[in-house]
Amino acid sequence: MAVISLENVKKLYKVGDQEIRALDGVDIQLGEGEFASIIGPSGSGKSTLMHLLGCLDTPTQGRLEVCGHDLSRASSDLLARVRNQEIGFVFQSFNLLPKLNVRENVELPMIYSGIGGAERRRRAEEMIDAVGLTSRANNRPTQLSGGQCQRVAIARALVNRPRVILADEPTGNLDSATGASILEILRGLHREGRTVILVTHDPKIAAVTPRVIEMCDGHVVARP
Amino acid sequence: MNITQSVELSLREMWGHRFRSLLSMSGIVLGVSSLIATFSLTAGIEKGVRQLMTEVGGLEMVTVVNKEISSRMIEFWNLSPGRTVRDAYAIKRSAPLVSHVSPELTHGVAVSADGGDPLRVRATGVWPDYREIANHELAAGRFISDLDVERAQRCVVVGWEIAARLWPGKDPTQAVGHKVFLNNDPFTIVGVLRLYERDEDKRRREIKEQSAAINKKPPRPAPMSRGRGTSRNWNPLQQKNEAVLLPFTTLFYQFKSGQFPDNTPENVPLDNIRFRIADLGYFQQAIDQAARALDVTHRGVDDFGFDTREEWFGSMEAGLRATRLSGALIAGISLVVGAIGITNIMLASITERVREIGIRRAVGARTRDIFVQILIESVLISFIGGLIGILFSLVLIQILIAISPDRNVPELQPFTIVISVGFALLAGLVSGIYPAWKASNLDPIQALRYE
Repeated sequence: MAVISLENVKKLYKVGDQEIRALDGVDIQLGEGEFASIIGPSGSGKSTLMHLLGCLDTPTQGRLEVCGHDLSRASSDLLARVRNQEIGFVFQSFNLLPKLNVRENVELPMIYSGIGGAERRRRAEEMIDAVGLTSRANNRPTQLSGGQCQRVAIARALVNRPRVILADEPTGNLDSATGASILEILRGLHREGRTVILVTHDPKIAAVTPRVIEMCDGHVVARP
Repeated sequence: MNITQSVELSLREMWGHRFRSLLSMSGIVLGVSSLIATFSLTAGIEKGVRQLMTEVGGLEMVTVVNKEISSRMIEFWNLSPGRTVRDAYAIKRSAPLVSHVSPELTHGVAVSADGGDPLRVRATGVWPDYREIANHELAAGRFISDLDVERAQRCVVVGWEIAARLWPGKDPTQAVGHKVFLNNDPFTIVGVLRLYERDEDKRRREIKEQSAAINKKPPRPAPMSRGRGTSRNWNPLQQKNEAVLLPFTTLFYQFKSGQFPDNTPENVPLDNIRFRIADLGYFQQAIDQAARALDVTHRGVDDFGFDTREEWFGSMEAGLRATRLSGALIAGISLVVGAIGITNIMLASITERVREIGIRRAVGARTRDIFVQILIESVLISFIGGLIGILFSLVLIQILIAISPDRNVPELQPFTIVISVGFALLAGLVSGIYPAWKASNLDPIQALRYE
């Protein structure tokens, strides 16, 4: 059964009088536990695709299903719930809250899913331990290195046990050695049975995933 | 996300920007403190005015006055005997809605005691009812009795000031039982009225006493006022302190008899007739009853009218209302300004936190969560501002008391604290709505991209 399914999805933007077809009829099926990368030059529609997969946006036309939820015309509350429960985001620029320490950052998704204080703390500490940052749990993100920040972000992405991990250029701000270690963590998640989607512009990174979805001008051009 | 978490988060956010939060609170602080202070101020003034109103007899006191005869009745003018003591009897007999009535006959006299300098005052001859009509309270002794009137006893009730001047340096209440001379005729003081003073006079007296204690010099006695109309600041209470009250008959026989033929206590023209209405709920009915009684004694000639103090009291009430309203208006304006200030700061704070809002949305915050978050923050700012405002107002009231010793003392009204904090919360709520709406409607994608 497909975790993510797109059928003839179109996303149109209006800029002045001009209509921009960011996605022009995309069909993608991603199964449970797949490790895929979405690749393409800038302007190819891969960011738009990622926003749709991440439930930050809804398609203009076509059918979008994520983890059994039909999101073609979903309310913003349903989108928020799916983001909270089913999707874990890992961003290029980490997107940690600078005012919160590592543990509080990891707790953030659980605050919005209504998990109580003690349980929240326990699970956050468990996740921080899993990414090997227990000693930095009370530090602010500004006191951490880039690789450590990205590991905090991964801990945050995993803390609500989502089925899909969505990583947007996760190695973009890191040196190659650290980047490799982050990719290794993602590969580990795939081995645990999670669906991992990697968005990148770098074919070398895309090469680590068994499946590569190449985007160009709003179309999927290669589907191996 | 529950309320406790939101409150905690908001407090943290406010603590992170302490100075900015304090600045945004300042409007609310000023609004709340000025609201409480003005209410306290007007409460003090109101208390003073109401006290004055009851001490001068209240709305219940009505005076029968002479009036120009209407053209219809002008030819019969000599049928009416004018205001006489028969009018007082008539009202007493046939106006059950009037509880007390008394004629007034006045005469200028020189009062002296133990060979001291005489005081020039107006003595008033009255009935025992006069005490209730004018709300006189005795400090010592008794008031004029029915027997005094019947037998025209040579007794007198004096105001506090009179007793104090006749025996300077002595306790005025000790004057009871002593002899005084009115135009060289001996009278016995049977009662002394209590000292009437307005709040401002009281404070002035206290200050004077304090400075006298320091300077060790006896205070110079102030000149006797000449009563209503002549002094710059007419003080109705001063008349009570300078009262010299005799039995009605005594005053007539001592000072008025034999002034013209056929002059008896029954037909001497009176200076005044005053009465007290039993129940203000039947004010007009009581006046009507008195008018019918007087129609008989005046043989149908409409040469009398009634002077009620409705107008005077009404204007005092209106003045109080205006004071209260203008105070509330000023406080209201500063609360509105405070609310606008909070809106402004919240909008700035949101612009600073666009990315944070985007991240929160991405990990699952609903629009509602963001909305509530911002709203709670602005309500908390105004609430804390309100609390600071209360403390500030307490200081402000103390300052007001200190810098205005001859005003009515401001009185803290506990209910205004509740009201003003309520208004502060409302201001916070209203001022937070727009920023909260704006923050919660940010597009998460745009917010995440925001640098």
